[in-house]
Amino acid sequence: MGGLYACIAVGFSLVWGVLNVINILHGTFIVIGSYAAYFAYIKLGIHPLLSIPIAAAILFLLAYAFQSGMINKVIAAPVLTTLTLTFGLDLFVNNLLIVAFKADYRKVILEHPLGVLTLAGITIPVDKLAAMGLALLLTGLLFWVLDASRVGRAIVAVRMDREAAALMGVKVKKIYALTFAIGGVMAGAAGSLISLIYPISPLNSLPFLGKAFVICVLGGLGSVPGAMLGGLTLGVLESFGALAFGPEHAVTLSFITLILFLLFRPTGIMGKRGYE
Amino acid sequence: MTRSSVKKCLGKGMVFLAVFFLVASLSTGQAAERVITIGAPLPLTGPLSPEGQKQAQGYDLWAETANKAGGVKVATEPYKVKIVYNDYQSNTPRAVQLAEKLITEDKVNFTFSPFGSGATKAASGVSEKYGMPTIAATASSEEVYNQGYRYLFGTFTPNPTLTEPLSDIVKEKVPAVKKVAILARNDLFPLAIAQCMDASAKKRGFDVVFFEKYAIGTMDHASALTQIRGAQPEWIFATGYINDLILIRKQMGDLKVSAPVLTMIAGPAYKEFVDAAGPLAENITSASWWHPAVRYKGEDVFGSTENYNKLFREKYGIIPDYAQASASVAGCLFQIAIEKAGTLDRKKVRDTLASMNVMTFWGPVRFGETGQIISLKPPVFQIQKGTQVVIFPPEIAQAKLLVGVK
Repeated sequence: MGGLYACIAVGFSLVWGVLNVINILHGTFIVIGSYAAYFAYIKLGIHPLLSIPIAAAILFLLAYAFQSGMINKVIAAPVLTTLTLTFGLDLFVNNLLIVAFKADYRKVILEHPLGVLTLAGITIPVDKLAAMGLALLLTGLLFWVLDASRVGRAIVAVRMDREAAALMGVKVKKIYALTFAIGGVMAGAAGSLISLIYPISPLNSLPFLGKAFVICVLGGLGSVPGAMLGGLTLGVLESFGALAFGPEHAVTLSFITLILFLLFRPTGIMGKRGYE
Repeated sequence: MTRSSVKKCLGKGMVFLAVFFLVASLSTGQAAERVITIGAPLPLTGPLSPEGQKQAQGYDLWAETANKAGGVKVATEPYKVKIVYNDYQSNTPRAVQLAEKLITEDKVNFTFSPFGSGATKAASGVSEKYGMPTIAATASSEEVYNQGYRYLFGTFTPNPTLTEPLSDIVKEKVPAVKKVAILARNDLFPLAIAQCMDASAKKRGFDVVFFEKYAIGTMDHASALTQIRGAQPEWIFATGYINDLILIRKQMGDLKVSAPVLTMIAGPAYKEFVDAAGPLAENITSASWWHPAVRYKGEDVFGSTENYNKLFREKYGIIPDYAQASASVAGCLFQIAIEKAGTLDRKKVRDTLASMNVMTFWGPVRFGETGQIISLKPPVFQIQKGTQVVIFPPEIAQAKLLVGVK
């Protein structure tokens, strides 16, 4: 689960770290990505692993429009204002999804299932393995983009010091919208991958958002490697918790760890001081 | 004032009077139509909205059918039926507030309960306080009814009536079953039904080798399923809602966890589950309070189960499930009680409900001392070739129990 968790959280973490916006819409973005993959498979026969670019493109446009059209207007306001705005937008978009697709659960059922792989007595479903591999690849790609490209450096610069970046000629508002859109792209990709494993419904947005929160705190805000590490840590913790204390305590263990991190290391595993 | 301005004033006055009389005549016409209002606090938005909307479909179909048939007859006067919905947004405290608002502000004649055992229990004190006859369409837990309340009635039998026949069938038809594994969602109804299963299994000498709860919102069941595989049960019993059970079934397939008998409650009763689980749904057994395959002839407005199914399919394009049918029968029961009592007096309608013994499209309806239905025999069914078929009781069975899941 760790790889998928990383993919769920990385966009959320980036937006929080760079824009200081807690994007409550993130869970709904993931659900939209899942629906894109579902309909691409049902209507066009495109495998969910191949429909990632479609879902990512839809979410890029949607997120860019939300950010430049609405969120940018209150971006300088306290974090509670932007949180309330994204919360309101989430209520609106999520209910639109319920109206459009109903609250029923749907599932991508592959005509040719990918099967399972047995390694040293451990059974691993190939779809989950492929989803995890792609999730880690996408997260790595994002890390590379931030590290090596001009836009990526601008995003990192804005994250570190908005005023200094503006003085250096970085168009901060554009970078904000672009970062938010990249967050959307990652949510769309995560949604596509998740459609292989989870049932799809607008009601699933909240559990995804909850996971993203925990991973951000564990891994460190705004840090791509942090989200990756946080996701993997959460996956391992949940599996270990379920095995050691019973399935009902899997989530308990991860939240106890979250509280401990908040108390003793609010920056997370890889976060930097000042971004907690 | 000039002559022309007087004329203008008179003209305006005439127009005003004409509009006034038109409106007055319209409103008199409306007043002539007598209406019975029934309050329905439902979770129409939020996480419980799929269930809330199912209930609303059931109520609407009853109201529409009753109105088309001339309405509800109180003594000799026909009354139209109107359902007054209040959305409690899947928030139980809000359900209690709205149940009270429906009685005190909207002044409804009767009320339906909110969705599920938890919210029904929470709101039941309100109907009792106001002496308001209330029918619960989706509450099964005995704790809801054993509070000593007199105005609450429920159309679901207690939870053990689902697990007892299931255990009997498996005991009789699959003698190889010795060990049972139970995986339950840690939530009011799913946990209660799992505990009933535990008791039913032990009563028949089955060995319950695994009984664990999973937290609400669990996104990975791999660890629990690996443990179940290690325990090698012949019967796996999983409880939860559609989302959980689709995921559990998918992960069972992935991890090659199998058993001769796999029972899931409460997802397989819904078509959405069968569609979403696809071939993995095959041979899953389940039980519910009603199934469209049952065949009853009733004295309600629908007349028979076949006719109910037909009208439901015509209106919504789908086959009804037990939640929708229960909501419809709740309306029918109010109608029968009002017509038998010949009045809208709350106490008299309550007394008629309490002594009721009628046959409906839902099955025979008679309420026990606590107000919960005692006359119904819930069917056990299995998904075979993508369709739910009844395997118990024998008088309505459509197929025999098939053993083994992929």
